[in-house]
Amino acid sequence: MPQTSAKTWLERIRALELPRPIKVMNVCGGHERSISFSGIRAALPPGIEIIPGPGCPVCICPEEDLHEAIRLALEQDVVLVAFGDMLRVPANVPKGEPRSLEQARAAGADVRPVASPQEAVAIARAEPGRRVVFFVAGFETTTAPVAAMIAERVPENLLVLLAARLTWPAVAMLLDSGEASFDALIAPGHVATVMGSEEWRFVVDKHGMPAAVAGFTPESLLAATYSVLRQTIEGRPFLDNCYPELVRAGGNAAARRYLAEVMEVVPANWRGIGVIPDSGFALRPAWHQLDARRVFPAPVAARKRAGQMPPGCDCAGVVLGKIYPDQCRLYGRACTPRNPVGPCMVSDEGACRIWWAAGRREARAA
Amino acid sequence: MCLGIPMQIVAIDGHRARCEAKGVEREVSLFMLQDEGLALGDHVMVHVGYALQKLSPQDARSTWELLDQLVAAGES
Repeated sequence: MPQTSAKTWLERIRALELPRPIKVMNVCGGHERSISFSGIRAALPPGIEIIPGPGCPVCICPEEDLHEAIRLALEQDVVLVAFGDMLRVPANVPKGEPRSLEQARAAGADVRPVASPQEAVAIARAEPGRRVVFFVAGFETTTAPVAAMIAERVPENLLVLLAARLTWPAVAMLLDSGEASFDALIAPGHVATVMGSEEWRFVVDKHGMPAAVAGFTPESLLAATYSVLRQTIEGRPFLDNCYPELVRAGGNAAARRYLAEVMEVVPANWRGIGVIPDSGFALRPAWHQLDARRVFPAPVAARKRAGQMPPGCDCAGVVLGKIYPDQCRLYGRACTPRNPVGPCMVSDEGACRIWWAAGRREARAA
Repeated sequence: MCLGIPMQIVAIDGHRARCEAKGVEREVSLFMLQDEGLALGDHVMVHVGYALQKLSPQDARSTWELLDQLVAAGES
């Protein structure tokens, strides 16, 4: 099947007559990266906006969990392993104390970045006398491999500190609040590859909002944009699949089987946002011996700004699609990739980091 | 992170595979695609060391073009 080019999709979009301005939200850092770097935003006609929403698991990883990871790394004889972009995310600690895993490492803790669950397993095998704590922040696409890793059996000295989240409940929360700042949704391609696109049906069925699953190429993202605009014009919202190359009915059955076997879905805290129902993964009782929280219970101590974003940081607004990255007053001034204040400027999936990398260097004039 | 990298299977040993993309070989887990009956030469979308789904050679190519553009743009 010949692919329709990005240019053709743009021509089709420009030919549409929109009844009103339309704001489309994407919920995936990979989507946002492709949109920002391909210049799709500037190529769209006036009246069509694409805003990044909750697409960065590291950005909403609870501050308490991050603080706990730092504490474990500093106070226990453990190897703390985490996906690389977690290492520089700052927690809220008193001045002078290590505020990130990277700083904990500089202070002598054994903190190591990994790129895959297998690397965590390999480190645990290589260090049989020590406990290895795998700190996992991720959405379904990352959590399913971690569940598969656990289902396949892991060394006894490998523990998991789980801060894994589901993507759709954040969108559901925004839509249920009645204050959603978007008119249509581009659903995440690889989350749907694992979980199936059906998870996103509520956007259409419950809220009557146009939705389309997209892949990561500009062609697929523009196809999804065109689809939700057409749905809007025709007043017939449906859940479109613009990533049929990978998104099959029901998703990846084996991946979902392992997720369900190893983890249960629980209410979960999102940094700077609060608890969102049914939005987190927790290990089922059969795997409680792997749960770092149970092996190392956190001390109950009040901390300043526990759970919050860093002072002055508007990552929560960015994550929820309420403001664009450059509308944060720290953007490009106090907060840059070199000296990040908030997690959205740290993670490769953070909208601020992506916008900066794509060349946006200044905050928007208020 | 969710972007995923298309790779081609060059060797299979149980649920483990050697996969190749652009001359780079990596160990990839096929554990989540164990129902799929994968064969040497197949392309898979790989995320954090796990194959998420099978994909066609053409789709692998178009994703590689995208990744090349993102890398080039990120380095400029």
